[in-house]
Amino acid sequence: MAATRQPSPAKQITPVRIILIAALLLFLYHNLIHNLGVFPEEWNLGLREPLDMFKKWVIVANRDGHWMFALFFQPLKGSIDFFMRRIEDFMYWLPWTVIIAFVFFLANKIGDLKLALLTAFSLLMMGLLGLWDESMRTLALMVTSVIIALAIGLPLGVWAAHNDRVETMLRPVLDAMQTMPAFVYLIPVVLFFGIARVPSVIATIIYAIPPVVRLTNLGIRRVSEESIEAARSFGSTPRQIMLKVQIPQAMPSIMTGVNQTIMMALSIVVIAALIGGGGLGDVVLKSLRRLQVGSALEAGLAIVFMAVLLDRLSFAFSQIEHVSVKKHQGFRLLPRKWGGKSWAKAIERPITWVYAMSGRLEKKVVHLFSRLLPKQDENINSAGYFITMALGLLLLLGISFALSWVEFPENWDLSLSKPVDTAVKWAQVNLYQIGDTFIGTGPFSDFVSLYMLRPLRLLLLEWLAWPIIILLISALAWKAANWKLAVYSALSMLFIGWLGLWEASMDTLSQVLVAVLISVLIGVPLGVWSARNDSAEQFLRPILDFLQTIPTFVYLVPVIMLFNLGRVPGIMASVMYAIAPTVRLTNLGIRQVDEAAVEASVSFGATTWQTLRNVQLPLSLPSIMMGVNQTIMMVLAMVIIAGLVGAAGLGFSVIDAMQNNKMGASIEAGLAIVLMAIVLDRITQSWAQKQADAANIT
Amino acid sequence: MNKPKISFRNVWKVFGPTPEHIIETVKPETAVSDILAKTGHVVAVRDVSFDVYEGEVFCVMGLSGSGKSTLVRCLSRLIEPTAGKIIVNGDNVVEMSEEELRDLRRHKMSMVFQRFGLFSHRRVIENIAYGLEIQGVEREERIKHSYEILEKVGLHGWDQHYPHELSGGMQQRVGLARALAVDPEILLCDEPFSALDPLIRRDMQNELLRLQRDLQKTMVFITHDFLEALKLGDRIAIMKDGEVVQIGTPEDIVANPINDYVHEFTKDVPRVKVLTARTVMKPVTHKEELIGRAVAIDTTLEKLIPLTADTDDAILVMDGEDNVIGEVNRKRVMMALATIQKKEV
Repeated sequence: MAATRQPSPAKQITPVRIILIAALLLFLYHNLIHNLGVFPEEWNLGLREPLDMFKKWVIVANRDGHWMFALFFQPLKGSIDFFMRRIEDFMYWLPWTVIIAFVFFLANKIGDLKLALLTAFSLLMMGLLGLWDESMRTLALMVTSVIIALAIGLPLGVWAAHNDRVETMLRPVLDAMQTMPAFVYLIPVVLFFGIARVPSVIATIIYAIPPVVRLTNLGIRRVSEESIEAARSFGSTPRQIMLKVQIPQAMPSIMTGVNQTIMMALSIVVIAALIGGGGLGDVVLKSLRRLQVGSALEAGLAIVFMAVLLDRLSFAFSQIEHVSVKKHQGFRLLPRKWGGKSWAKAIERPITWVYAMSGRLEKKVVHLFSRLLPKQDENINSAGYFITMALGLLLLLGISFALSWVEFPENWDLSLSKPVDTAVKWAQVNLYQIGDTFIGTGPFSDFVSLYMLRPLRLLLLEWLAWPIIILLISALAWKAANWKLAVYSALSMLFIGWLGLWEASMDTLSQVLVAVLISVLIGVPLGVWSARNDSAEQFLRPILDFLQTIPTFVYLVPVIMLFNLGRVPGIMASVMYAIAPTVRLTNLGIRQVDEAAVEASVSFGATTWQTLRNVQLPLSLPSIMMGVNQTIMMVLAMVIIAGLVGAAGLGFSVIDAMQNNKMGASIEAGLAIVLMAIVLDRITQSWAQKQADAANIT
Repeated sequence: MNKPKISFRNVWKVFGPTPEHIIETVKPETAVSDILAKTGHVVAVRDVSFDVYEGEVFCVMGLSGSGKSTLVRCLSRLIEPTAGKIIVNGDNVVEMSEEELRDLRRHKMSMVFQRFGLFSHRRVIENIAYGLEIQGVEREERIKHSYEILEKVGLHGWDQHYPHELSGGMQQRVGLARALAVDPEILLCDEPFSALDPLIRRDMQNELLRLQRDLQKTMVFITHDFLEALKLGDRIAIMKDGEVVQIGTPEDIVANPINDYVHEFTKDVPRVKVLTARTVMKPVTHKEELIGRAVAIDTTLEKLIPLTADTDDAILVMDGEDNVIGEVNRKRVMMALATIQKKEV
């Protein structure tokens, strides 16, 4: 921090100071002399009327066969719908046994038996929760969206890698797309396509496309110069270079992009329930509306299993290892540490035996089939495996139809909902306040509302009138970056006012600030802890991975169990969703601090705390700031979702307007969220960048 | 040996906004660093002309930044030369169309790279087969042929491994095998052994010499190691600042360095191993005394020393057809050893 401070005279007049003084004067005037009042209503742009008109026009034009709809939107909608229905029909037609077996064998081939068991278990759980059909519906939506997203994204990425101009054009678009909260994509799509499943697919495609474009481009660009030169020196055509060298070499990167695209698609497919996407998200939504926490939890769990399944499976694809001999590791159920214990051995031994036998059997069968293949080839093992697998699946298909194992058996039901409902009732009664203490969800909730949210809202709405806030934000932007960002931020905030959403925005801002504050208060210490303690890191990593895998929507379920409705559950959901980057980047930042600097500090006799405060934290500040930036963006992404559990503000406005079919109002609120997201993102990012430059870390 | 396989004629490579203009305007005496300072152009190759003969190993030696790597890339137009002609088998490479060039690269020349340039996603055997694959050779045939090459470079049993599983020396064997698999007429080697440690490097040099005895390829070999150039090269071109300073056989250059720059390189050379009777002999003085001990013309000083040590008599030097073409004595051998540069003839 000290490094950024210029050794300038204390009373130098800088623009930032002038703005701050102006803000101070206004503050005194506002509170002592004359109240500036709320954002003038007559300045309202009234955007919603033309938007609503447009919506009406779209409906009419659609009905009357306006050429734009007849030639573009309708065919697009029709073909996506057709495609999706075929996939959905196919997945409904397939017996559940075949689907589970397919995923099992696929995971076993690209990963290992452990992954295969995990994925099969996840699918089985979806059935056991009584949500097989809904899960397949969501899966069909996912498959459709991801296939289309990849069909567009991969070529786009390749094109960008080969053409600098395309890359420079795409980059800001992709950046902007990743700043926007998922929900924002739903609104314009609804405007053109109405409410149903096709608009969900289209929104999903748009939202999920950036990572695969980005990482395909990056992967291809990172292929070593020398291998490309080598390929050229043998007379390869540009096409051959691309197909035989660049794309295969970039494959791990591309597959990482595919993994990210799939996960982003899942997060929006679930939210798309709000615009009639159906599937698991719909179950969560309906249950939440009826406050049936039990069935919401069931659907939430099914979504979590779906997320784990898709993430691990697509992640395994990105871990392509070029090794000649695959090391055959034994299968271990229990931690390695327990290996010495006799009871652990007793458990492990049969598993190891089954594992080894199944491996041997697989080899035998594959070998048998490989002899039937015409050419001896090094890919023989893969080909043999997949042919064996296909034949096995066909056999299973026949058996399943013969024994009519097509639909997931209804009586195989864990039926969690009833016990959960009971547990929730119990929790609401007993955890609300434990005895006469201040421990419990009730006092906590009250504390957050009374001592954090309310004063902050008062501050933003009453003590600081809107012009003061605009001045303060632009001063912050100027300090973090330059006058351009200051002007941009001021205009963005003004625009929010012109939309007539000043009050709702400040409400949202106060919730965002509280959520970020709580995330930092919990996240930074956790990050420090895991940086100083390897086993803490090992303990936290899977938890953080897990938190980042789950679609936003699911977080509402546990918070509603504990905190009921209102702003506080929204904040708690945001914290859970958004805390991971702060923990991760604090950990990373501290771990990357130069060993020598720490040793120097210790050699001067600094205590652990002094070293941490004076050396490690300041040096890792840029990294921590990046984490906070990501946390802020994730909290903002959660704003709309939080509106579903009654957190007032912009999110609630979006949801409310959408459900009452007020397109214009919904778009206005969405726009305000986007503006706020961009302003907060640019300011925190420039600030983090400035810290990094000052600390000479890039 | 006498037919030029490759001819460079006034080849230039200038990097910068207006390279052609630089070539027209620059004076021969202007230093490369001045051109860079004044015009912002980097002259990588400057008016280079020489011939490489069929079946010879032609070493281009120079320090980093001397333009040797750029020069060899101009030969297959991996880098486009700015001006000049490069004649391969009588055709000017510089004027070739994209297709002719591809044909040249596929069938006539192949290259070995400093950092190997192997394809990490392909097995060793598929790496070796790459050139044939690009030519459109059927899979079965190209794999079969690649196995032959694999044996030749001593990589038996490593066919199914991936490059990163091999040591540096073995990776470069793969690189060499990949280049040889297409049976090129010309082999371009861009510092192929520089990234290897000294012992492995020596092994690889010997391996290359062994292969070359069988294959008799025309080879352009880039190196920054003068000793390597002496060991491998039939002839050596020494480059500095994009220009060829001296061309000659190893012995020529060691015996007669053209200037101080070249002399610097020759200082540490074990002269007894490089210089031969060819350099130290003088014309026969007494025609009638054509009797006595005789040696072949390419006898190194290392072998001449014991022969001349115990006699004041001259020893005759004979060429390949048993004709006496000169004589050496102890004095001449000692003089040559004493690093005196000016040879009195």
